[in-house]
Amino acid sequence: MNIIEIRDLHFHYVEQEQVLEDINLTIEKGEWVSVLGHNGSGKSTLSQLIIGLLKADQGEIIVDGLTLNEDTVYDIRKKIGIVFQNPDNQFVGVTVEDDIAFGMENLCFPREEIIRRIDEYSKRVRMNEYLKKEPHNLSGGQKQRVAIAGILAMNTDIIIFDEATSMLDPKGRDEILDYIKEINAQGVTVITITHDMKEAIHSDKIVILKEGKILKVGTPKEVLNDKATLNASNLELLLPLKLMYQLEESKIDNPDLKDYLWQLSLNR
Amino acid sequence: MAIKFEQVSYDYVGVDQTRYRAISNITLDIAETGEFITLIGETGSGKSTLVQHMNALMRPTEGEVTVYGVKIYKDVKKKNKNVKLNPLRQKVGLVFQFPEYQLFEETVERDIMFGPKNFGVSDADAKVRARQALQAVGLDASYLERSPFNLSGGEKKRVSIAGILAMEPDILVLDEPTSGLDPKGREALLKLFTEIHRNLNKTVIIITHDMNTVYEYASRVLVMNKSELVFDGTPDELFLTGDFGSWNLETPDMIDLTRKLETKLGVTFHRLPKTVEDLHAMVLEVLS
Repeated sequence: MNIIEIRDLHFHYVEQEQVLEDINLTIEKGEWVSVLGHNGSGKSTLSQLIIGLLKADQGEIIVDGLTLNEDTVYDIRKKIGIVFQNPDNQFVGVTVEDDIAFGMENLCFPREEIIRRIDEYSKRVRMNEYLKKEPHNLSGGQKQRVAIAGILAMNTDIIIFDEATSMLDPKGRDEILDYIKEINAQGVTVITITHDMKEAIHSDKIVILKEGKILKVGTPKEVLNDKATLNASNLELLLPLKLMYQLEESKIDNPDLKDYLWQLSLNR
Repeated sequence: MAIKFEQVSYDYVGVDQTRYRAISNITLDIAETGEFITLIGETGSGKSTLVQHMNALMRPTEGEVTVYGVKIYKDVKKKNKNVKLNPLRQKVGLVFQFPEYQLFEETVERDIMFGPKNFGVSDADAKVRARQALQAVGLDASYLERSPFNLSGGEKKRVSIAGILAMEPDILVLDEPTSGLDPKGREALLKLFTEIHRNLNKTVIIITHDMNTVYEYASRVLVMNKSELVFDGTPDELFLTGDFGSWNLETPDMIDLTRKLETKLGVTFHRLPKTVEDLHAMVLEVLS
């Protein structure tokens, strides 16, 4: 079942050229899709269109059977949680616990449930000892973990991670990736917006965006196999893959080594 | 020494009145020229607190920081009205992690001019500096009249860096300047910092999580762990002797792959490659 369908989507900002052009994409329920592209490829714009923060010039977005328009936008937002790149832009609470509660309060969760979930999700992101602290005293990674706890606690069907790990340290990034795997395994549909192929390689499906157009949709294997598209995408390739390509060019015939580098690229 | 830390600690107080030690007993020297320093360590280890002491934005709870001969301690303002901290902020330019914090004017030009004017530079000179600084960060003059708020994240970063460069600081401190940028944007900025370091002979200090930056660019590495400075040395020393596990540091991709290939191919490479071309050549050598 498709939980998100995007048909013939076009968008441009006022007085700017086309940002997104002819986007067609379906996302199945429970799927983890990464949208991979450079800064300026239109990938964050796409996520803002899906939650109705921006309005498309043309085309259709259907979320869980509802066509996005002025009447449905609030119902659709209840289905989608979004974690942004910069955690400072999403802080509203005086303390960490207020902040985690905010989304749930908007969804009118009962008070006892809110309290229970603050406890559960703050522990899950290892921030339970910080509940009474002010968010501005936290480091960037800690703030992002709080933001994620607030979104997870809302229990939405879909969560978008819009470059949510790009400002974190390696440990913080790996932790967030682990949460993503965990919630995805529990049936939540996940969209990760990223420029990091290392991160995208974990998802079920990769969508490569370049200059507002979809260059390729495929499994990580299909994408890594498509050397021509990868070169055209200008994305930073994974190091083992780069080495593999160079060895191929030098006509080195070592299938064992090639396979090893291929598996490393796929993070196996 | 341009900046000297002597047994510096800093505590902050939370809403629940508990004190938290952000940096603990730091002793450190930084030269005025010639250093390209990366400051690494996991989030919450005290990196940002440490650098904010370098231009007196924060003052030690214990110990003393000396910046260009001016001693900064807990009660420096209370005890000595004559101590002027503003000139230090011109000498040590700090670019915060999130450029949105530093951009506020209507146009890019006025934003870049703000810093120098604040330090007494005339309007005409500030305009000239704005043009030069914008060029130095790789943006053309067409950006001068644009609103900083309509720029992309990478462009905002460049403009905020230009604003600091226009103040002509001796030491440039950047708090995670490349975080959130894609690899091409990251590389372009690091190239820029290298040029500033080499051509203008300034000390550059970069907070980063990217071990590839440390491996490829730094002349000196500082590692913070749980509020303490646990390492101060060269990248080579770090990769040979560093306690990566307990400091929660990642091995750079290049070193990681090189070591995996040694195991896979049953060989020992006698040096570490800097580029993939390097590694490719090393592999060809052992395969032939």
